[in-house]
Amino acid sequence: MRDAITVERLGKRFRLYHADRPWTLHESLLRGFQRLRPAETFWGLREVSFTVKAGRMVGVVGRNGAGKSTLLRLIGGVGRPDEGRVEVYGRVGALLTLGAGFHPELTGRENVFVNGVISGLTRAEVTRRLDSIIDFAELEQYIDRPLRVYSTGMQMRLAFSVATHTQPDLLLIDEVLGVGDYLFQRKCLDRIQQLKANGCAILLVSHEAAVIQSMCDESLWLRKGQLMSHGDSRRVVEEYLADSEAQVHAPAGS
Amino acid sequence: MSPQNATSSRQQWVHLRDVLCVLVSRDFKLRYKRSVMGIAWSLLVPLAQLWVFYVVFHTILPLNIPNFTSFLFIGILPWNWFQTALLMSSGALVDNRDLVKQVGFPVAILPVVAVLSQAIHFLLSLPILAAFLWFDGFRPSLALISFPLVVLVQFVLTLSLSYVFATIQVKFRDIQHLLGIVLFLMFYVTPIFYDSSAIPADIQPLYRANPLVYLIDAYRAILMRGQFPASPALLVVLGSSALILMVGYAIFMRARNRFVEEL
Repeated sequence: MRDAITVERLGKRFRLYHADRPWTLHESLLRGFQRLRPAETFWGLREVSFTVKAGRMVGVVGRNGAGKSTLLRLIGGVGRPDEGRVEVYGRVGALLTLGAGFHPELTGRENVFVNGVISGLTRAEVTRRLDSIIDFAELEQYIDRPLRVYSTGMQMRLAFSVATHTQPDLLLIDEVLGVGDYLFQRKCLDRIQQLKANGCAILLVSHEAAVIQSMCDESLWLRKGQLMSHGDSRRVVEEYLADSEAQVHAPAGS
Repeated sequence: MSPQNATSSRQQWVHLRDVLCVLVSRDFKLRYKRSVMGIAWSLLVPLAQLWVFYVVFHTILPLNIPNFTSFLFIGILPWNWFQTALLMSSGALVDNRDLVKQVGFPVAILPVVAVLSQAIHFLLSLPILAAFLWFDGFRPSLALISFPLVVLVQFVLTLSLSYVFATIQVKFRDIQHLLGIVLFLMFYVTPIFYDSSAIPADIQPLYRANPLVYLIDAYRAILMRGQFPASPALLVVLGSSALILMVGYAIFMRARNRFVEEL
């Protein structure tokens, strides 16, 4: 099986600014351009290496701030790593934020075009897939109404539908499935399985251990920017949960 | 590293074109949605400006410039394009943070979207200018074929500055206000309601450091005198704009990876 992603010794350093860093030229002048430099830096990810084969579904677990979203962004080419490299083979689809470019005043249909093109499709491709996108989102009746009348769940369905219609070779999903209702979540998971069967690799960030354990072929556990383990989902999730559990019981300050 | 290295470069150009189309049309739709007057608003603003300046500099403080309506309108329209495009594009990154963070989105297109949508407003108001010119007795001449070139020079100039300001805005969020003040002052050192020849000879060299002087002189030469514009000056503007464009684009691309963290 061919590789879908190669991540090699990936590192990303974040800059922390002073809490009172001036954000205007006016203030900067008044303070003589003090405090513009970052106060300190920290590694959001460090020495992370792994490969994912095509058609594999990989769960990513870890506490908030462990670097899960940073990892997905770097794989998607948003921002540049400070160390190491990411190699992605083929087209990337992403659901990192709900509906980039969505605007409440535009209709669902107009938003599909904007979001679809922003997600990497051409207009002709969006036109060809439009019916299928609307059909999957179950929004036929609302598609010509402005997005502001949609519920969050409906917006999420539309965004998910567009993202999975980009025929990605790699799909990045960051903790957004929770918005839909149970039935739609099932439908999304089925759709993911279908993409997977066609050779699409999937990276799924989720805090739902059960979803990860039942759906993902393998998992990554990140802690404080480091890859703690990579392998069988059941084992990795157990390790992660055991570690979290240990922290709950550990004496404060450790 | 590019998310789309599997697709051909032709496909990438088609995609870039489509991103441009979709975002420019989104811009238009949002501006005119729920407004009864629709696109007419963008024509009414310059007409109102025209009327005010006409009253001030023809009736109250007469400047005695022949065919003042046409003269004035040729100054107002390119100026408005320049001003609104710069103000809009300086917020291009900060105002579109969801797009900047979108996987596979060509961020460098955002300033182009701003300058292009204002260029379309400019082009849409040209028929009205043509009507004024016709009414004042001007007829199209062969020099008109150089008109698109002047528009192109203005496009490149505006775009080059747009990259610079969009980048600075990420670091200093008040640059848009500052730009507003600079543009307000710049309006008076640009030959909009007066002719550039009215500037005293000893300060002409300084005055002509403003590239818009050459552009508006060129528009007037073409439309009112039927002359080809002074090409060396325009070529200098084009050349220096191209230079700023390269530098501006380079710092923009260098800074774009920081945007993701700072927005």
